[in-house]
Amino acid sequence: MKAFSGYHPLTLLIYFLSVLMTAMFLWNPVIQLEALLGAGLFAAMLQNGKETAGDILFYIPLFIMAALANPLFSHNGVTILFFMNGNPVTAEAFIYGIALAVTLIAVLLWCKCYSIIMSSDKFIYLFGRAIPKLSLVLSMALRFVPLFKRRFHKVRKAQRAMGMYSSKSYTDRLKGTLLTFSAVTSWSLENAMETSASMKARGYGLAGRSNFSIFRFAPHDFLLLAFNVLLMLGTLMGAAFGELEFYYYPQISGSSLSVPGLLAYVCFGVLTLLPFIIELKEKILWKYFISKI
Amino acid sequence: MKKDILALCAIALLIAVIVNGTEIQSVDEYYLTHIDDIKPDSETVTISIRCDTILDNYGDLDKELKSEKYVPSDGIILPETEYVLRPGDTVFDVLDRAVRYNKIQMEYEGADKNSYGSVYVEGIHWLYEFSCGPLSGWMYKVDGDYPNYGCSKYELKDGQKIEWVYTCDLGKDVGGVWQGRGN
Repeated sequence: MKAFSGYHPLTLLIYFLSVLMTAMFLWNPVIQLEALLGAGLFAAMLQNGKETAGDILFYIPLFIMAALANPLFSHNGVTILFFMNGNPVTAEAFIYGIALAVTLIAVLLWCKCYSIIMSSDKFIYLFGRAIPKLSLVLSMALRFVPLFKRRFHKVRKAQRAMGMYSSKSYTDRLKGTLLTFSAVTSWSLENAMETSASMKARGYGLAGRSNFSIFRFAPHDFLLLAFNVLLMLGTLMGAAFGELEFYYYPQISGSSLSVPGLLAYVCFGVLTLLPFIIELKEKILWKYFISKI
Repeated sequence: MKKDILALCAIALLIAVIVNGTEIQSVDEYYLTHIDDIKPDSETVTISIRCDTILDNYGDLDKELKSEKYVPSDGIILPETEYVLRPGDTVFDVLDRAVRYNKIQMEYEGADKNSYGSVYVEGIHWLYEFSCGPLSGWMYKVDGDYPNYGCSKYELKDGQKIEWVYTCDLGKDVGGVWQGRGN
């Protein structure tokens, strides 16, 4: 049980929405870096070392690819490095690509943390009564990829145990992976139909039905929510004053640092680090109590 | 193992094709365009690039472009200049040579990348389509008329006058009609 997932689903949903929306729509390098830092630290807390290492191995090539793709397609900018097929390749486009990659990975990591923390029972608890069908579809869609990954490993293990795809040739291995992929895809699609049929058979969405998990809105939920709203107000104030404006094209320029801007950076920085701090506090407490025994 | 080598060869071939199709030039190389000298018997055309309409719609212009550096105060990016017309030159060829010679930034979409089969000029002098409102972009006139087709499909004749103008209202503010409507 992670400390952060002990909070009420409503508090958690509002937290994730506010961080994700800000990271996606406030196009400012400091905000983007803060979102990435917070997501990275939080994800590292939620996973073990091996999973984190795997993540890094996956996200670094993704980062490089996303950053390099932009200057190939966007030729705006005043600092021209060289010309490719008659169109300029500019330093601004490179930097914009890096900013794009940072945002992409920050949002992906936040979504990963979301799927670890907000299990489907929490989502259904929040929306099951108001929009039963949509909430079931959404919760199934949100857990699709993690479930797919788990099943993929399962099928691969089974096939390897049967002696299939054990050839050393990379082409053969790739073929085997594709076969496994198609098998898991049809399994997942079939399973989605079965899930909905099974939910219907259990009377999902009917009146008077209770939830799998019952959550109580406790004082610490209110505290986190209030803190969240306060920090978001601080961030949005900076944006409303226009102090977070930043342009990449045609020349990199931004508003100079001011009090509302600085306040917004600090507020958003604290907001993104909140889950990490909560998890860290829990870990330290745990260690401290053990050593005392 | 044999299959691996074959796959590797295929990938190497693909990379070779991509690299072969990419032409990389340094900045100096790119701007080193040869402009033919005008002789008494040579065929010529004139070309100008203007963005006067932005000055009338300055409020709609993207904030980061509101500078003398991107929008000249007289609206003239390239004054009317005479260039030699090479046989088979299209409007785009002359524009390309003119902006290279004058070191003016330009971005275009190649003729193979859209369904019109013609080059589309996205931006000149850092002023792009949609930079000044949702109906803004670059249009061209030849002898005062808007051809309403791609600039790399218009073959020029001796003595013609090309004007590249920036519109903020789909051509209505520069005396053009879009797709023949209201003519």
